[in-house]
Amino acid sequence: MRCLLLISASIWMLACSGPYKAMQKINADPGCVKVFRPSFTTALYNTSVNVTGKHLSGLLIIKTMPDSSIRLVFSNEAGFKFFDFEFSGAGFKVYYIYKQLNRKAIIKTLRKDFQLVLMNNLNSDGGYILKNDHDRFYCFPQGRDHYYYLTDSVCGKLIRMERGNSNKRVMSAIAENFNDGVPDTIGITHDNFNFDIGLKRIYRYAEK
Amino acid sequence: MRKMIFTAIVVMAANYVQAQYPGYKLMSDASGFKTQFAAASQKTVSIKSDFIQEKALTMLSEKIISKGKFFFKKENAVRMEYTEPFQYLMIINGSKIYVKDSQKENKISAKSNKLFEQINKVMMECVNGSALNNTDFTVRIFESNQLYMAELSPVNRSLKTLFKNINLLISKKDFAVTRIEMHEPSGDNTTIDFVNREMNTNLSDALFAIN
Repeated sequence: MRCLLLISASIWMLACSGPYKAMQKINADPGCVKVFRPSFTTALYNTSVNVTGKHLSGLLIIKTMPDSSIRLVFSNEAGFKFFDFEFSGAGFKVYYIYKQLNRKAIIKTLRKDFQLVLMNNLNSDGGYILKNDHDRFYCFPQGRDHYYYLTDSVCGKLIRMERGNSNKRVMSAIAENFNDGVPDTIGITHDNFNFDIGLKRIYRYAEK
Repeated sequence: MRKMIFTAIVVMAANYVQAQYPGYKLMSDASGFKTQFAAASQKTVSIKSDFIQEKALTMLSEKIISKGKFFFKKENAVRMEYTEPFQYLMIINGSKIYVKDSQKENKISAKSNKLFEQINKVMMECVNGSALNNTDFTVRIFESNQLYMAELSPVNRSLKTLFKNINLLISKKDFAVTRIEMHEPSGDNTTIDFVNREMNTNLSDALFAIN
């Protein structure tokens, strides 16, 4: 089921991709998309990662700490930890990463992917809005990266999230079926190489 | 004066050990235990058990508890079926590993995957008791009223990045491993408790088949 969801999401994302340059800039408050920011207290996800033909599964726990930072810890089902990341206003910190994953490119990709989904670094000052016939693209540039949040025309529904530059998309993400501010399903798909992450929330994981 | 300092250090060390593992004391001579444990391991042909796994993330003050069925067959076959709160199957048979999650099944050669090779070896040796003789670990034996505890501290750097130490809790009654505790350098830990154990029942080879 999750596989089907990811495939259909990928097809939908590809079908809807378009160059940002061809869109029209409009004047409005880009901060309106902040209402879609997920509020993770603590959530556990059954996780599957497909990267260049290899498959990996495990459990991802996302928790908002008392200091408002967000921790992401990914381990396999038997408990062996792969990574432990922190996202906060002060930046990004790697508490732990398994040595075979400890590559700059891997960490950078994971940081940017999850930053897009967490929506914890949206600076309205540099933000702007693009529109096409149906939708609005709320864009938040960070250096050469641009984080896009695609909504309907009235900023009433978050359709998907994208990251790229000012012209081209490199990856997309969806967060769906929110329950108390926490998405039940998250999907991340890269355009330029075979890499996707699928998360499905697990409830009642701390009962003996 | 020197004698007093030495005595104080010995007392402090003893107190540290007791504080580290309340209810346990370090065995100065564990040769008797090791002989009995090796004899019991020799007699164990198979184990069928339920298990409860608890992953404690100390910095996050969170626990992830999962449950399932565990099977072991001599010499080196293990099957772990996670049934709650997710479905996951892992079979280790010699140097081969099979995993099946909710999406895919995967056959892995332990030799081609360093992480799985290490986990495979540690898991198997903890279950069949041979970890006590593995030179990759230094071993200390503690005892309480009902249990022995073998504390395995990794010697090589590769294992040290994964584990601070692994503790095996062993029943004094039948010398069976009742709990495996894997302590990570970060302070996080994973414990696996074996409950409803059945020893030396007839287990089909099909349970451990990797085709």
